[in-house]
Amino acid sequence: MKSTGLAIGLGVLGVVFLIIGVLYGFGVLQIAVSDTHSAHHYTHLILFVVLAVASFVAANFARPKGTVYVTDRPRR
Amino acid sequence: MGLLQGATELFPVSSLGHAVLIPSLLKWSFKQSDPSFLPFLVLLHIGTATALLVLYRQEWVAIIRGFFTAAFRGQIQTDTERLAMLLLVGTIPAAILGVYLQTRIKSLFASPYAAAVFLVINGGLMITFELLRRRAERRAAVTASSRAEQEEQFAHAERISFRAAAIVGACQALAFLPGISRSGVTIGGGLLAGLRHREAARFSFLLATPTILGAGVVEIPQLFSSGVPIAEYVAAALLSGIAAYASARFLLRYFRSGRLDPYGFYCIAAGLVSLALLHFNL
Repeated sequence: MKSTGLAIGLGVLGVVFLIIGVLYGFGVLQIAVSDTHSAHHYTHLILFVVLAVASFVAANFARPKGTVYVTDRPRR
Repeated sequence: MGLLQGATELFPVSSLGHAVLIPSLLKWSFKQSDPSFLPFLVLLHIGTATALLVLYRQEWVAIIRGFFTAAFRGQIQTDTERLAMLLLVGTIPAAILGVYLQTRIKSLFASPYAAAVFLVINGGLMITFELLRRRAERRAAVTASSRAEQEEQFAHAERISFRAAAIVGACQALAFLPGISRSGVTIGGGLLAGLRHREAARFSFLLATPTILGAGVVEIPQLFSSGVPIAEYVAAALLSGIAAYASARFLLRYFRSGRLDPYGFYCIAAGLVSLALLHFNL
């Protein structure tokens, strides 16, 4: 299943995961954390970095490869 | 505790279940609610994960290399690259469920009674996995003179589907319930996905390594809190690693022709005996 749209979507998802991870890392996001008083949530940061990496890898897999250049020039 | 954790982490008998049950049955004095218990568990897990890394050191080098090659190329060309991606796909559901659910589930079911009941359920699961596997063997009309030959008819870990890898990975979250074995459910999941027993164990151990290591590494800052006897904990982690290495070697040899159901019967018996001992306060 390869398409440029899917690849872009997965790339965007990766960026979103990175942003969420950074927000958890700086303690801005406190959603679903076990210790709400902690200033940093490194576990969540690591999780979202892993998700971002997986999204970027999936985007690279989804990207159409092997572009075929079509030419109307006659072969010699 | 180090030896117990190392040995039971990889056997399909639930390390967490034993870690809850045995201290309670033997009336050991430490409390799991003690602030120094978490760093202790962290080091034991790091010991186990290190043992798995040592056991599969060459394979991990190839897997990491295969991961980067396939990731940058955007295409899987070799079995090792496929295995690397399968492990990534299998680790993600466990990581998500672990981060968001582990603490809540563990605190809900951290009683010896719950551990004993789940140990019985774990035994039932192991036996069910084997029954389903035997049905698959009959359906595939596997005819071979020996068990080892029969096993050869089933697939290698690299041939598992990505969907199956994700499901097997998600099943690891069941191990947050004390008494349910991580290796048991992942080996069982691998069997249902059509792997031979030894390959299901290999996939389970490979899948467990980043999960256990990750869970341990993120808690390392806890080790530096005051009042933690680091030297004793490191000694326990060493013992845990040695026990884990020996049990992994044993299990890989055992699963050349062995099955899961003996562990299933053990879990049912251990769970029932523990329930009786706890009930009569013996």
